[in-house]
Amino acid sequence: MTELVFPIAAPRARRIRFTRLVRVELLKLTSVRLGYGLLAAVLVLTPAWTSIEASRAGKPNGPAPLFTASGQTSIIAGGAWALIFAIVLGVTISSGEFRHHTATNTYLAAPGRNRVLAAKAVAGAVGGAVFGLAAYAVTLVVGLSFTGAHGYRLVIGAGTLADWGIGHVVGAALLGAIGVVAGSLVRSQLAAIVGVFLWTLVIESLLGGLFESARPYLPYTAAAALAGLPLGAANFGPSGGVAGVAPLPFAAAVALLAAIALAGALAAARTTVRRDVT
Amino acid sequence: MATIQIRGLVKRFGPVTAVNGLSFDVSPGTVTGFLGPNGAGKTTTLRILLGLVTADAGTATIDGRPYRELPEPLHRAGAVLEAAGFHPGRTARAQLRVQALAADADASRIEDILDLVGLAGAADRRIGGFSLGMRQRLGLATALLADPEVLILDEPANGLDPEGVRWLRGLLRGFAAEGGTVLVSSHLLAEVAQTVDSVVIIDGGRLLAQGPVAELTAGRAGLEETFFQLTREASR
Repeated sequence: MTELVFPIAAPRARRIRFTRLVRVELLKLTSVRLGYGLLAAVLVLTPAWTSIEASRAGKPNGPAPLFTASGQTSIIAGGAWALIFAIVLGVTISSGEFRHHTATNTYLAAPGRNRVLAAKAVAGAVGGAVFGLAAYAVTLVVGLSFTGAHGYRLVIGAGTLADWGIGHVVGAALLGAIGVVAGSLVRSQLAAIVGVFLWTLVIESLLGGLFESARPYLPYTAAAALAGLPLGAANFGPSGGVAGVAPLPFAAAVALLAAIALAGALAAARTTVRRDVT
Repeated sequence: MATIQIRGLVKRFGPVTAVNGLSFDVSPGTVTGFLGPNGAGKTTTLRILLGLVTADAGTATIDGRPYRELPEPLHRAGAVLEAAGFHPGRTARAQLRVQALAADADASRIEDILDLVGLAGAADRRIGGFSLGMRQRLGLATALLADPEVLILDEPANGLDPEGVRWLRGLLRGFAAEGGTVLVSSHLLAEVAQTVDSVVIIDGGRLLAQGPVAELTAGRAGLEETFFQLTREASR
């Protein structure tokens, strides 16, 4: 009998490292245009919003005058669009697997689905952090430019500005991870994205208006507070505007958002993530 | 080399029993055709084997282990289950980079694999503009990239032109000749007859026949006639 020659490499008997799963998700994210498109939207909407707020400052129904701390806050802590688009980015990372039928290849490469979900959440957080950082850099430059152009002195301290920068990055990162979890639970990309805009622009505004004491605990509002926005200032609906209750402290807001991401991930792991991929 | 083993596999989707007590083996060094009419349970069986669908009963293993428990599974089994399963906005080369990283495969193989599947000239085009045949070739490239021992293919000839079908036949024969295990589902019986060493024929989720093509078709006009005779008898 002829002896067969097997040139095929022997398999490596080790588990797939989590860091590799994260790198795969980041490579997926950076190898298509969607993420760049969302970032571009953030970079257009953020300065546009800041400019509108600056032009309305000191006018009836507008933000406080730009020589006040409140007025300067309204244009410098202006990264709300980064927070919203961070959630959308997260949604696309997970629900895109079902929209484009790529879940099969993903789970063939990494059969441990909960670890894939965790890796996607990390990738969503990294993408969200980039959105937050970029938006804050833009709104800071635009806000300071408006303040300087009017000849006003900056009344916000460097420490506060740094805190807001950290808050933009951390808040957007946590919302990016929450977006991944939401997309994993809903699976329909369109429904999930519509849901993100409805929640952030309408539902939180209504809930915050109806139940003011609950407003600090609403996730988008909590992330906006991390980024330095006064409570309610990031709400666009009729009950937007500064509320009468205090925002959550930084650590409490971070803990709240992390807990929401974790609870959602556990729910997804027990339901949608386990489903057959047919 | 790896052996595929299916034992007493059962899968129900609500009231429908897609796979009903199915058992068969696939040996290394062979190309095995997995045949059955539409809805026979072929795709469900392959998806159970690859850990994508959970069986209600029975086992499906590669070298004695369920796919989900294989260390570095892409080095053990390469699979093509759906030609549409790529992000349309990614280029073919980027897709293979993702696959290489996911599999911990040597990224320097990407150019060779693109050459092998005939996509070198289209490597930097977005997959959304690919024909079905090009997607099939890309699917085969992703399956082969990590140098697996087993190939599991669901209707891989769909969308391929005659030259592509002949190329695929040569690829599968060559893979098996090097000791690889190939399980390929298809409804193109004439093509299967030219490619495979043995067949597994199922209908209604049940095994109808398994064995070398020559044995199963002995005394009959060919594989096609054998297939129709078996499935007709099963449906009575």
